[in-house]
Amino acid sequence: MKKFYLTFFSILFFTQASFALVKIDITRGNLEPLPAAISKFYMEDPSKFSAELKALKLEKKIPELISNNLKRSGLFHIIDPKSYIQSPNIAHVKPTFQDWALIKAQIMVSGKLVIDSKKRLRVEFRLWDVIAGKEIEGLALFATPSSWRRISHIISDKIYERMTGELGYFDTRIIYVAETGSKTQRVKRLAIMDQDGANNKYLTLGNELVLTPRFNPTAQMITYMSYFKNLPRVYLLNIETGMQEVVGDFPGMTFAPRFSPDGKKIIMSFAKDGNSDIYSMDVATRVVEQLTTHPSIDTSPSYSFDGKYITFNSDRSGAQQIYVMRSDGSNAKRISFGEGLYGTPVWSPRGDLIAFTKIYKGSFYIGVMRSDGSGERLLTQNYYQEAPSWSPNGRVLIFYRETKSGKSEIGGSSSLWSIDLTGYNERKIKTLTDASDPAWSGLLSK
Amino acid sequence: MYKSVSLSVLFHVVFVIATIVSLPFVKKEPITAQQLIAIDIIQISEKTQLPFAPKAREIIEKIKKEKEKRVVTKQAPPKITPKEKPKAIPLPDKLKIKSEEEKKKQNPEEIKELNRQSSEFEKKELFDPNKISALIDKSKEETAEIQKKQSLELTQNQDSSVDLNKGITLSQEDAIKAQIYKCWNIPLGLPFDQNLLVRIRLTLRPNGSITSSEILDHARMNQPGQGFYKVLAESALRAVKLCDPLKMPTTGYEKWKDLQLNFDAKEMLKG
Amino acid sequence: MLTKSLKNTFLVIVLGILISACSTTATKTTKSTSAGDVYTGTDTVQYLTTGVADRVFFGTNSKNLTSAAKVTLDKQAAYIKSSKISVVIEGHADERGTREYNLALGERRANVVRDYLMSKGIAKSSIKVISYGKERPASKESSALAWSQNRRSVTVKSK
Repeated sequence: MKKFYLTFFSILFFTQASFALVKIDITRGNLEPLPAAISKFYMEDPSKFSAELKALKLEKKIPELISNNLKRSGLFHIIDPKSYIQSPNIAHVKPTFQDWALIKAQIMVSGKLVIDSKKRLRVEFRLWDVIAGKEIEGLALFATPSSWRRISHIISDKIYERMTGELGYFDTRIIYVAETGSKTQRVKRLAIMDQDGANNKYLTLGNELVLTPRFNPTAQMITYMSYFKNLPRVYLLNIETGMQEVVGDFPGMTFAPRFSPDGKKIIMSFAKDGNSDIYSMDVATRVVEQLTTHPSIDTSPSYSFDGKYITFNSDRSGAQQIYVMRSDGSNAKRISFGEGLYGTPVWSPRGDLIAFTKIYKGSFYIGVMRSDGSGERLLTQNYYQEAPSWSPNGRVLIFYRETKSGKSEIGGSSSLWSIDLTGYNERKIKTLTDASDPAWSGLLSK
Repeated sequence: MYKSVSLSVLFHVVFVIATIVSLPFVKKEPITAQQLIAIDIIQISEKTQLPFAPKAREIIEKIKKEKEKRVVTKQAPPKITPKEKPKAIPLPDKLKIKSEEEKKKQNPEEIKELNRQSSEFEKKELFDPNKISALIDKSKEETAEIQKKQSLELTQNQDSSVDLNKGITLSQEDAIKAQIYKCWNIPLGLPFDQNLLVRIRLTLRPNGSITSSEILDHARMNQPGQGFYKVLAESALRAVKLCDPLKMPTTGYEKWKDLQLNFDAKEMLKG
Repeated sequence: MLTKSLKNTFLVIVLGILISACSTTATKTTKSTSAGDVYTGTDTVQYLTTGVADRVFFGTNSKNLTSAAKVTLDKQAAYIKSSKISVVIEGHADERGTREYNLALGERRANVVRDYLMSKGIAKSSIKVISYGKERPASKESSALAWSQNRRSVTVKSK
């Protein structure tokens, strides 16, 4: 009997001890931007630096640019540099992680500027995981006094990529139309700038109307529409040389041009006798192909990221809607079925989504939908806004807005805006003049 | 237009007159006598009376009391600041419905508080396996419909908290979750339709400090194309580190010294 | 008994149908060719010559010519024929649409006018067509009136 009790209780005891592993589902957290500290960079051996280089104050400017980029993305919260405890030179070699954790940073960026034996400027940065207490990324780049902005953008992209798993979008440019003058006599010029607004340059003089400029994949060429000699046509512009040439030899208005993802073709609309159809032209051979033959308005074509499909705007159903067809023009299918009018479809470089403009009950919306038309999401609403363009990582949309104008000259101003795919982080982009028709380039460093 | 109005009035008058006239027709209908059916009156005895089984009655009373109890919260819920998430701009006529839906999307603190007060999502009955088994034999009909409680309202009745095979109580689990929620900075913009489940196994000391943390599927982090997984795993590791030491229950160390946390950001990313 | 109740129900049904008020829709004489918001004033109108307006107006997103438009175009045709001038027809759109689509819409409107003039005997060679989309509004305000003034097709003497 005793034996029985012994075995019984020992069994009980052991079953008691071996509990199943406690598993807890963590399904919530906070969606706050990641707290980051961007330390001032430090100059190794300042005596080697020329006066001109020292005057640029790159040890401050570079981290400043990086901070601004990361802050603008909406994904990072940059902790005020005034609260940083550790000095830049030590931070770069062996940071005291407690000091950084104390100010609530979860990641820290440190950097160094060196003049090497060949008198070249080397910029080095390190990304630290403050909580884990280790370095998680580092890079050295050669820079010149004129390229330090691009270096900062490249570093920003590296940090962004490491922390989000996605490619960045900071080393890019934006082409747009700079507007001045009264509403009835608008002067429009092509303008190009860095994604953060720096290095703004005008590419045309404003003697003729210019509209809807877009980059080619290498960001060396622009295609746009111009009323040069009062003949509205699609043109090609070489940014480097400034040379412009008309695209094709069309006996009528061509407009709404875009490059194919491989840069070999330009796709556009050609209007004749009241009917607009979509055509493509091979840039090298100049061979033209007609892609739609419907007697309705077919315009705003945009290739998918792999070049296999084209999304476009057509009113063949009686009102403006979005369609998708194969890149040879076959199998056109309507994909927009919500209430209102749809226009300016543009395919995401990530391939999954199509952004568009929607007009409903007197309001304009920027939205996205999947390429089969499902999952329509509206991101922002306004009195007037249109023409979204994707950042190269498919995460941010840039578009433009116009305000109402009254009897006086007040109002009627246009400006560029950006918004995250999630609907967060709506921002106005500062430009020197009024601006419209923005388009984003691909990553300059590929 | 006037033509139709006058026509309408005319017909209305005609109809009224017609009904007045026809009513007497109905009235004057002779009533045919129904056939008589013989009825035997049977005495209802004790056997056929169907009261609630005593135990069932007990439970029903208790549930009624519980219902009243829940209206009073144990603590006043702190100010809830819902996160303004402009996920989707609703079309004008759908605005109202959407704003209600938006309110339901809650941030971690909000969820926690809702657990402590009665909400319309709450299932009202308590699931108590002991009492049910006692019931099954005794009464054949009219057992109160008792459904299993899905949410974590048991925090109000810590005595009768249910051990659901975990080794820790739901309320204890809740407390651990709440800590991790605060520490976890979810990387924004991750795709929510991929499988991004990060499982971390921890061993703890009795004071709740972490002796070791290990990512299961560690190898996945460095595979090509698994960039998002790596980012999420690192964020989970940071969360665990930030929360070290965890506030754990004072008893039952053997039960919770090995912990596995399953980080799943799907709900939060979906928005 | 059956017949009595049947009779009553029949009576009630018939009367019920009869008393439902006959509604007459007020017949507004709407021009089938207009979208309802076509500008009919003369504020922004200029003249090719005395009595010949240089432009016609359109409804939102529409290319249809109203009967008033046709009257104007008839006069234009007569003038063009008699003076043997060449013209350029400018198609315009209001600002409440996307830019590229409006370019196409302007072109459509200009061609509708051209086709009409050609049907009145004007030679194709003396008509050119251009679209300005919404780039050259006649009125710079943002109001329904201004927009209706901007939805137009303007006939201009070509140089």
